[in-house]
Amino acid sequence: MTEDGSIIEGQTQSYTHPSTNWTPSACLWCHFITSNNAALSTPLFYVGQESSGLPIVHHSKYVCDLPPNHRFPMGKFSRVLHFLIKDQVITEKQVWVPEIASIDLLSCVHTEEYLSNFINGKINEQEQRRTGFPWSEGIVRRCRYETGGTVLAAEVALQRGMACSTAGGTHHAFPSYGSGYCLLNDLAVAAKYLISSPKRKVLIVDLDVHQGDGTAFIFKDESCVFTFSVHCGKNFPLRKQQSDLDISVEDGLEDKEYLSTVEAHLPWVLETFRPDLVLYDAGVDPHWEDELGRLSLTDQGLYQRDLYVMKTVVSRGVPVAAVIGGGYSRDIDKLAIRHSIVHRAATQVWRECGM
Amino acid sequence: RTDMEETEFDDILDDWFIESLKTYKDLHVYQLEHPTQVIEWTSGKTVCVAGFTSSKNEILELRLPLKLFADENKGLCAERDFKVVHGGFTDAPVRFSNCLNLQVWDLGGDDSDVIRRTGSVDGSRGVSEGGSRIAARLSSQPQVLHGAESAGVRLTQLTSGQTVYTLETDSADPLSSLHFVSDAVFLAGCSNGKVYIADTRTSAAPQLSPPPPSSGESVLWWTDASAGPSCLDPSSCRIVRLSSCGQTVISDLRNPGGAVSRAQLDVQTRRCNADDVRVSWAPALDDCIAVSGFSGAVQIYSSSVWTTELQEAQPLFEHRGHAVSSQSDDGVPVFVTSHVWHPERPRTLLSAASDGSVHVWDWVDQSAAGC
Repeated sequence: MTEDGSIIEGQTQSYTHPSTNWTPSACLWCHFITSNNAALSTPLFYVGQESSGLPIVHHSKYVCDLPPNHRFPMGKFSRVLHFLIKDQVITEKQVWVPEIASIDLLSCVHTEEYLSNFINGKINEQEQRRTGFPWSEGIVRRCRYETGGTVLAAEVALQRGMACSTAGGTHHAFPSYGSGYCLLNDLAVAAKYLISSPKRKVLIVDLDVHQGDGTAFIFKDESCVFTFSVHCGKNFPLRKQQSDLDISVEDGLEDKEYLSTVEAHLPWVLETFRPDLVLYDAGVDPHWEDELGRLSLTDQGLYQRDLYVMKTVVSRGVPVAAVIGGGYSRDIDKLAIRHSIVHRAATQVWRECGM
Repeated sequence: RTDMEETEFDDILDDWFIESLKTYKDLHVYQLEHPTQVIEWTSGKTVCVAGFTSSKNEILELRLPLKLFADENKGLCAERDFKVVHGGFTDAPVRFSNCLNLQVWDLGGDDSDVIRRTGSVDGSRGVSEGGSRIAARLSSQPQVLHGAESAGVRLTQLTSGQTVYTLETDSADPLSSLHFVSDAVFLAGCSNGKVYIADTRTSAAPQLSPPPPSSGESVLWWTDASAGPSCLDPSSCRIVRLSSCGQTVISDLRNPGGAVSRAQLDVQTRRCNADDVRVSWAPALDDCIAVSGFSGAVQIYSSSVWTTELQEAQPLFEHRGHAVSSQSDDGVPVFVTSHVWHPERPRTLLSAASDGSVHVWDWVDQSAAGC
């Protein structure tokens, strides 16, 4: 591992708690982890002082430079952490820093050709246009860290019961191409990584206002992953894929009806599928102020939704890892605060469930 | 339409949506039951549109999505959609042509959502194929300049129906447009390329500018006049003339025969009628011209880089939304029927197309120089 944390191919991944300063002072779960498939660059993670708070996964490299006036609210990731600490929802001690996702890890979902083109800047103009991002080394790096973050959140959730990333939810990425601001499918990589050994079942609950089309496609023939998406029918993408459960809602749906919709399905899906882990995409673009989303949820509505989802899952003894999902606004701070709703709800659940 | 065609169409729309995030600051779409050739601002936030079939036509006053105007505080505004504020019906097609009787409409106050016809003005004396053009006078007294040919242009007072001015010309050239360039001075653009400039305060003969030299017979011309920084000063007014082959000439009102600059625009030549094409100066953006009617796109050009030599010009921006989102069942490609610039917002336009779609869009200027 190099000093900045990037992986030299062939070495194992490691997850570092900030208090350890790169030297492991304890290695509590490496035995458990090394029983995983070693060919996938098994992660070891090092836990220093145990923080007993809700694990938050964040990396400063979630952010990269974009051309001026670019529409994607890149600044939000660091602002989410900023507001959580400023508002004393969490402390720095709760933050877990992921490593960059290795090519090996990414290749469990993405094709070799795409990964090679992606990493080497060979994505053609048309493909770049569809992603909404001009290619750069920075964007490649930040997507890999983001994916590493979601994988870490999933791992930590399995150990601790819950974890939340300050990024993630890039559900429009397909195995061989990116789309709609998504270049790598972090949820798919995390799910794929965790279902092999030991054999596990993963439920992906995607409440971003846009259908999780990439994820649906990736797992359409995978019985160990259940994809559940609630989305606005008229939002992008118009060309829909088929999740295991798709709930397409009308424009303008408000808090009460939206929550009823989620309540109508989540319990029975949990009951029948019986996952070992839930990955929760808590996109805030169903909010009425969202520039792209066509629904009308309020801050309260989002909070109630997140509280409901995580409580329902955790109270069944199932771990949950949450990612922030989509949100579009030119006011980055307002958007970041909105994204931090899931972390606040998770903190509430963490407390209530005595975790 | 097969499933595969539907999927491909959705894919194209998805591609365009992602691209539009970069190329537009704002974009909102609306679907009328019937297409319109008319878009007229009735306030900074509302427009009137009307059908042009030969039977009953609906006139609607639409309020634009409030989210468009929220600018810095987009988050505060939930309203994403167009809203019908007033509506009414007419038996005649409304397109300022084929309209031998000008009809005057009352949009109704706040307590009524009905548009009613309150009067009419006897239209052109000569019956021509083109029909009447109109221009509203920029003054306190409601007056309308109208006519189908150069020889029949009249200024009529709406309340009394009295003619207060008549344009005296030798020939009866079919008109493509009428424009006031100041309180009293107007320009009559003829579809053969001639331009008459007249002052309603005098009985002096109008100034005539011959058509720009062009190759080919049966070339149609469209005209627009810009008001300068001060509406009252005709000397800062410029005229743009656009031909059906895309040749464009810009002249100074003080010297309409001369050419300040020229360009050859890249217009798809479909067979255009006199009513189809619009060329317009941007009211709030220097030197910018919008062109529509040749295809399913609205093109924005910056004339600041044009010279007196006739050279090909590339658009600064192209709004292709109507073409991309149109599902043409009869194989006839969609074309834009009308466009207008917002009177104050520099890059905001409205456009309507033959499939009934109405778009309001605020485009991003991605060039270093220009508008």
